[in-house]
Amino acid sequence: MSYVLCPEIPAPGFSFDNCKRNATLESKGFAVPKAIKTGTTIVGITYKDGVILGADTRATEDTTVADKNCEKIHYLAPNMYCCGAGTAADTEMTTQMVAAQLELHKLYTNRESRVATANQLLKQYLFSYQGYIGAALILGGVDIEGPHLYMIHPHGSSVDLPYGTMGSGSLAAIAVFELGWKPDMEEEAGVQLVRDAIAAGIFNDLGSGSNVDICVIRKGSVDYKRTYDEANKKGVKQGSYKYPRGTTAVLSTKVLDVEEVSVTPIEAERMDVV
Amino acid sequence: MSSGFTNFAAQNGPDDWRDAAHSTGTSIMAAEFDGGVVIGADSRTTTGAYIANRVADKLTKITDHIYCCRSGSAADTQAIADIVAYHLNFHGMELGEEPLVEVGAAIFKELCYNYRDSLMAGILVAGWDKKKGGQVYSIPIGGMCVRQEVSIGGSGSSYVYGYVDANFKPGMSKEDCVKFVSNTLALAMSRDGSSGGVVRIGIITEKGIERRVILGNELPKFYEG
Amino acid sequence: MMMQTEMNAYYPDYSTAPIQRQINPYADNGGSVVAIAGNDFVVVGADTRLSSGFSIYTRNQNKLFPMSDTTVLGCAGCWCDTLTLTRILKSRMQMYQQEHNKQMSTTACAQMLSTMLYYKRFFPYYISNILVGLDNEGKGCVYSYDPIGHCEKATYRAGGSAGALLQPLLDNQIGQKNLVKPSSEDLSQEKALAILKDVFIAAAERDIYTGDSVLINIITKDGTKVETFELRKD
Repeated sequence: MSYVLCPEIPAPGFSFDNCKRNATLESKGFAVPKAIKTGTTIVGITYKDGVILGADTRATEDTTVADKNCEKIHYLAPNMYCCGAGTAADTEMTTQMVAAQLELHKLYTNRESRVATANQLLKQYLFSYQGYIGAALILGGVDIEGPHLYMIHPHGSSVDLPYGTMGSGSLAAIAVFELGWKPDMEEEAGVQLVRDAIAAGIFNDLGSGSNVDICVIRKGSVDYKRTYDEANKKGVKQGSYKYPRGTTAVLSTKVLDVEEVSVTPIEAERMDVV
Repeated sequence: MSSGFTNFAAQNGPDDWRDAAHSTGTSIMAAEFDGGVVIGADSRTTTGAYIANRVADKLTKITDHIYCCRSGSAADTQAIADIVAYHLNFHGMELGEEPLVEVGAAIFKELCYNYRDSLMAGILVAGWDKKKGGQVYSIPIGGMCVRQEVSIGGSGSSYVYGYVDANFKPGMSKEDCVKFVSNTLALAMSRDGSSGGVVRIGIITEKGIERRVILGNELPKFYEG
Repeated sequence: MMMQTEMNAYYPDYSTAPIQRQINPYADNGGSVVAIAGNDFVVVGADTRLSSGFSIYTRNQNKLFPMSDTTVLGCAGCWCDTLTLTRILKSRMQMYQQEHNKQMSTTACAQMLSTMLYYKRFFPYYISNILVGLDNEGKGCVYSYDPIGHCEKATYRAGGSAGALLQPLLDNQIGQKNLVKPSSEDLSQEKALAILKDVFIAAAERDIYTGDSVLINIITKDGTKVETFELRKD
């Protein structure tokens, strides 16, 4: 029963209620609103002690920058993170949902989550939506089997690779990896390589920009370096654009007396505990 | 094989390379020999003109003695292979012994046929069992299933049907068969733009699988005009 | 037996219906142009990024074309159309000079550009043009165009990929729109230049096709001064 103060909780999963209506509107020439796409550079490598993930921080809406400093490295589990490219909402919600499933699985089994498990959850979910969930992901983490890195495409295919890139800046970034990646790199060299790959995307791909985020995952520890590098310095303004007081026109003023109302706090009832 | 990713922000038109999701750029092969089967594949996956992976492994394990060679959409073939592996291993546990290759092929066929309208998958199932020894089953797009002594698949295969017909002999020795498979794949990869990289080989016999890799610079050379 | 149309649903490769193929003759190479005129000067700036889709062709492309000692044309949009238009425009300027033994005035050039654009009414030059210069009294003036020759005289204008982002900013800062007490002072060259640079900084923040650097032409009765100013490069 629907009630004004207590709205009904919708059924889980997507709602397709408006599909027919939207199709009719679209056929009559109504423009469909565009989703924010993270025209992106995301990368990941494995190194001596784990994996390093990297991402730029620009989100675009067509040709305008929608967010200059967004987070594209998402949390999945304490030992696992996931970079997302594609439709911003899809990468965000998909990773959040899988993070919740992994947490429950961990509590149920009493074991640390495995990267292969996360990979399987993500790819099966994406496959079931046949590419309509536009999430291109780089999944990285360290588990009992050691470091793992997966590239997961929106249609639900995935590959386990020692290094990889995705997003619109993937070509610029993979060029850096193909030149500089070696097996068993030191952490410092690995972080530098990931920074360079992201910077290549930031400067050479218009869909990527702003800062470099890096996440280092080792056995037993994680180093999330938000804004590891500010690849671009913002321009310094020449003039001052402070508006003097009174710039905005006041068309009319009306003063209302405030009526005092007394509020009596009600003590919260204790919950029954059996 | 394609890994198909779409939706990377504003695209420049319908032909944008990022949008080209499903292509069938692959060369795969399986051949029976005296005592088992040899399977082989190139290692390239593409999204349009971009090589998404140059070291892909298209020889996918189903059970210890049954493997498949995947061509078509990477997402579709991976999903099918995962489901077949689940069914066949479950069947193996119930049976208490190694499943037959023909059973594996039948499950592949069942999925490929029932979902033929929404799948893009051309699969070769190959393996060894006690009943019939080394076997190759071909399941092309549409979901047909047929046993063949030798079978090729993927876009690169159309260049080498003549070579296969001229050079395949039933009951070859293991090394002759490996040579035959690697030659065929090298020829297919050199003509087909969407196949390339290294050649991955698997030799399945009673003892299980033996994996080999032939690197790009070690591939057999033929006339290159 | 299966009907022909029914069969084609299963075998699209064997369809005999004609297929219409099309190519797109235009490219959008991005870029922004901003012009501000004062009483005895005019400043015009264009960013130097030339791009297509998600990639950059060059970070150092001049998009300002001097037409005479007192006239400059700023172009943004399809670069190949810009090259063609400016080549023809320059030769028309030269023909005028040789015929009349004097340089064409800014106002005359503005009118000529309009007719040249309208000449290609049904296959337009895909360019956002802003023509600036000094008029016959030596006052700064700005002319802006749509791709098919509509011309509007103004004192300030933003065009190109960030045009829609910048025009309201100029309306407020130069046109003094939505201000209760507009200043009565004349716009100084220094202020115009500062605002010009600042709006490009702002555009580079939000428009992916604007960046790298700005090339500025300052036109006074003493001639044209050229300046550059660095922008962010991502």
